[in-house]
Amino acid sequence: MEKFENAIEVLKNNLADAIVELNVPKPRKAYILLKPERHRDAISLLLKHVEDAELSTISGTDLGNEIELNYHMACGGTVTLKNRVSREKPVTRTITDILPGANLYEREVFDLLGVTFDGHPNLERLMLPDNWPKGEYPLRRDWEPHANQENESNSEETSQTEPAAELDDAGSVINVVMGPQHPVLHEPERFTFKVDGERVVDAEMRLGYVHRGIEKAAESMMFFQDVFLVERICGICNAAHTTCFCQAVEDIGNVETPPRALYLRTIIHELNRVHSHLLLLGVAGHLLGFESLFQHVWRDREPIMDTVERITGNRLMSGFNAIGGVRRDIAPSTVEKTLKNVEEVRKRAKFYKTVFEEDATLRLRTEGVGVLSKSDALKFCVEGPVVRGSGIAVDVRKDDPYAAYGEIPFNVICYNEGDTWARLMVRAEEVVESLNIIDYALHNLPPGRLRVRVQRKQPEGEAVSRVEAPRGELIHYVKSDGTAYPYRVKVRSPTLANLVAFPEMIRGAYIADIPAVIGSLDPCFSCTDRMVFLDTQNGHRWHWSLDEINNSKNRNGLM
Amino acid sequence: MALDLIFFARVLVFPGFLFLLVLVLFFDWLERKIAARFQNRMGPSYTGPFGILQPIADYIKLFSKEDITPKQTNKLLFVAAPILAFSLFAFALFFIPIDGSNVILNSSFEGDLILVLLLVTLANFGIFLSGWASLNPYSEIGATRVLTQFLGYDIPLIILAIGPAFLSKSLSIVNITASQTLPFALFIPWSFALFFIVLQAELEKDPFDIPHAETEIVGGYETEYSGRKLAFIKLSEDFQFLIGAALVTTLFLGGAHGPVLFGVPEFWHVFWFMVKTVGVVFVLEYVGNVSARLRIDQVVHGSWKLLIPLSILSLALTVIVEPSLRSVIG
Repeated sequence: MEKFENAIEVLKNNLADAIVELNVPKPRKAYILLKPERHRDAISLLLKHVEDAELSTISGTDLGNEIELNYHMACGGTVTLKNRVSREKPVTRTITDILPGANLYEREVFDLLGVTFDGHPNLERLMLPDNWPKGEYPLRRDWEPHANQENESNSEETSQTEPAAELDDAGSVINVVMGPQHPVLHEPERFTFKVDGERVVDAEMRLGYVHRGIEKAAESMMFFQDVFLVERICGICNAAHTTCFCQAVEDIGNVETPPRALYLRTIIHELNRVHSHLLLLGVAGHLLGFESLFQHVWRDREPIMDTVERITGNRLMSGFNAIGGVRRDIAPSTVEKTLKNVEEVRKRAKFYKTVFEEDATLRLRTEGVGVLSKSDALKFCVEGPVVRGSGIAVDVRKDDPYAAYGEIPFNVICYNEGDTWARLMVRAEEVVESLNIIDYALHNLPPGRLRVRVQRKQPEGEAVSRVEAPRGELIHYVKSDGTAYPYRVKVRSPTLANLVAFPEMIRGAYIADIPAVIGSLDPCFSCTDRMVFLDTQNGHRWHWSLDEINNSKNRNGLM
Repeated sequence: MALDLIFFARVLVFPGFLFLLVLVLFFDWLERKIAARFQNRMGPSYTGPFGILQPIADYIKLFSKEDITPKQTNKLLFVAAPILAFSLFAFALFFIPIDGSNVILNSSFEGDLILVLLLVTLANFGIFLSGWASLNPYSEIGATRVLTQFLGYDIPLIILAIGPAFLSKSLSIVNITASQTLPFALFIPWSFALFFIVLQAELEKDPFDIPHAETEIVGGYETEYSGRKLAFIKLSEDFQFLIGAALVTTLFLGGAHGPVLFGVPEFWHVFWFMVKTVGVVFVLEYVGNVSARLRIDQVVHGSWKLLIPLSILSLALTVIVEPSLRSVIG
């Protein structure tokens, strides 16, 4: 709280001439409209005066004649700095020189909204396919999917089907392409490693292989429908996405969520975290060639899945959160069963913690590998277990409490080593911590209503909502224009934040470290990508209509 | 003529080709089943009793699948390398006395231990060539790793194999096994333990399965292979596994000789050989299942800085204690 107020004071005192409008509608949430091109001053000020200030993301909104760029800064709360550029000539100065972590966010805005950032080191496509026609910016309000783009995409100018041509092997350096299909990646994404012998010289990545256009689709669905849409962004952290989105909409509509609902949200959210972390610890075992660990961890994850099924009716996609509360109550018998399962999993989780602490081969493979120093972690604005593994105790649950976290005692796990081992250990310990939170929440469940009725139409307004997803800080930005449909939904998942630092971590490491480091980031590419379907085999590209998305979102949303 | 019949029967049926094949498939199944139980899985369960026919089903499937040779590869090398590796491993197995004598009767000679180790080395070069001929970055990295790792571990393996030969004053495998009234593992446990570690690396088992680390380099040297040629690579891996286990059994555990020998000696020879080899396989699998994969640099450091000096030391220790052991060994 202090940090946040300090941040606002600093901006007020030093940048009074640049602030057009300052609005603090809720505690720890500020929206500041700046004069054009003054965003750099504001961001440098915050970085200088506020400890551990990070950029959450940049979200762009097409306002009709202007494009509004929101720089969401996390400093105790969320300070949203607004910089407007004209739609005809959308050019602004980059902030990558101040904050390298903004690299991917600026590329995303460039890709989807067509804003050019002056001075950006490599302003290239991020999400959209290489053969996407120039001058088409899908997140602008007037953009419509074309009926038939097949012919267009086959023409010479626009299509660039095989990216392999650009890879030149020079001397002893060879290019090793991992992905879109590779055993280390459980979702399609392409990494190109320049390898000299067994050493990685450099790494490049290409995202967008599972870009499903969820942000665009969300604009054409009503708020209450969007809850189900954002749930499909990621199967594993679905509760984080729905919690985050519901909070944003509740914020816009000034809805008072009942305390029992907040506790139930917390419980489901933490169950999500437990099974996500256990999943990753198992996958880490697999990536490091420790199959037994993998199989055992996944076996012990099952009681959690059973619990989620018992509470929500579904193993994975809980469909639990709704705007204004939750959909189902928890029966006393379920509470009892859950407490039993929690106890059981806690024992196993403690055992796995000792495995990661003591197993010699695991430590040999993870210690000192993929080191991200404290200053680099801040510079690249990484999130979640990655930043906590680098010795910075950033956790939205503590810094900006939401749901019931303000009332539940828990510790923020933090390791100072900054290597792969530390990142895995953070997760191993967080499992136990999360189980404690569930335990506490179940014992202190307040009585009362589950849900308040919320109208379909929401008042005009905007809201930023942050939650601590299993992989790190998740941020949703929702803007409403007074109808039942959101004007803009922006999602930034933690993986996108963490990927910026990946080339830095992997440079100079061995090939064998690639799976270890990728694993320790716990990447979730379906979260990271969200618009167009691309068949990389023949460069054929198509759009899905809303109905098709509706019919298939189950399938594509998983994992 | 009768001699020829026996010769053919021994080479082709028992204890030659067919028997070895069945043995290899059995160990393949055993290995998978042990690994599965360690990992809290069922393992092969449906094909035959306890899924024991699963390996043979897999090989039938592989042999009947489409066999692709990539355009840019060196065709001759690409086709010949797996077959070469397979035949060298199979040939090496002919010198392991499973029923008390070699597959080809009276073919044992002073120095066939060296021949077997040489054949295993050459066969590994065959595996290296198979990856090198594939012209795929993953295969090339895999092939380089095979060679890097193999060169580091073949030397200590050979040094350690001298220990038993020294105790029995013979370089013939048959003589080494025959001279073990009590297994050498009891007299020189240091060599025995080291041999196990080195063998683990030589067989590319966890924590040394670096050449085909799937999460790093997909299939390693076998990435480009499919169908029959892949079957040959898989078979040669299985044969190498059997050779490794058989070498421990013959050099350190008394081979086909055991405490109970009556009636048909051949039966008991095969029985004891199997019992010991199964034990060795179990230990190899155990180690493989409780460790993570190491990195190639760690493995190379481990071999040149640790295992080679240690194996020389253990050989020296064997030479020093040999006179006092002489009375017990007889």
